[in-house]
Amino acid sequence: MKLVRIIVQIAALFIISFIGEEVRSLFNLPIPGSIIGLILLFFGLSFNLFPEKWIEDGAKFILAYLPMFFIPATAGVIQYPSLLSFSGAVLVVVVIISSLATMAAAGSVSEFFQRHDKEGER
Amino acid sequence: MIQATFMVILTVGIFLVMGRVYRRLPNPVLVPVLTSTVLVVAILLVFNIPYETYMTGGQWIDSFLGPAVVALAYPMYRQREVLKAHMMPVIFGVLAGLCTALGSGLLFARMFGVDRASILSMVPKSLTTPVAIPVSSEIGGIPSMTIVFTMVAGFTGIIFGPLLVKSFRIKSSLGRGIAFGSASHALGTSKAFEYGERTASMSSVSMSLTAIFGSVLGPLFVWLFHI
Repeated sequence: MKLVRIIVQIAALFIISFIGEEVRSLFNLPIPGSIIGLILLFFGLSFNLFPEKWIEDGAKFILAYLPMFFIPATAGVIQYPSLLSFSGAVLVVVVIISSLATMAAAGSVSEFFQRHDKEGER
Repeated sequence: MIQATFMVILTVGIFLVMGRVYRRLPNPVLVPVLTSTVLVVAILLVFNIPYETYMTGGQWIDSFLGPAVVALAYPMYRQREVLKAHMMPVIFGVLAGLCTALGSGLLFARMFGVDRASILSMVPKSLTTPVAIPVSSEIGGIPSMTIVFTMVAGFTGIIFGPLLVKSFRIKSSLGRGIAFGSASHALGTSKAFEYGERTASMSSVSMSLTAIFGSVLGPLFVWLFHI
């Protein structure tokens, strides 16, 4: 029974994603359709248009397998053997440095604002 | 059809086995996405299977990326109270991370003389892969390269994140979660789980917010700086 529920709910997620895609092309937005779907679902839940239960099992299931869905697209790197050369290594170094800076900035800024929060709970 | 089905079974099978391996040996280098992708690529190379042939089945798995992004609304909704209570640190932390990701990426890329196509492919690197892919094609990057960069960004968080968080004295679960989620999306979130439920949920919220803001700011950034 739970399996049927998961399948139906994942189908619903597909439909929401599709609606997002339609909204995107209708208004010619630069935002991915899936993000529009995310926002639609978030507001749907927030304004109690439908109960959490309607999506819970499907969402948990699909998110548990999220990394698996990256595999085919990532394997596409096979088409760019140049990434394994010296210039490819430079790109990787740039991404690593930039990502470390990103972590430091995001963490430090949120800590700064947190200290100015009245609650300051840890 | 048989070929496509085989590719799907192959990919799912490898992922499930690698998941088991990782549970036995929880080493960051053995994260299932990484080992599975390496294995798939190795199989394609050894048996001389063109990527297009693999994608006859691969695209089925690919099609789950959209609904998976939509599903991120669920953990975000579950965390709405925390979000409301810590609006400022969350929003400004995520925005600071995003601006740093975009700005420092461009700065270092220019310093090292990186070509334009690679710079464009690098822009969405801090966004979660299913969002980074369409953003990359929108701005004229090469999606496959973008995926590699997002993976590198993710593994940077997994491997160096704990040390960075410690040396910058980021001690709150909120700050750590935002650091991991902003820079290293889903992979960082998987690492954030080791700090506890709250750090992980903040990480997944920041990953979703980074994806939402980034899909708008990324193209805007490219346009502003005439990349």
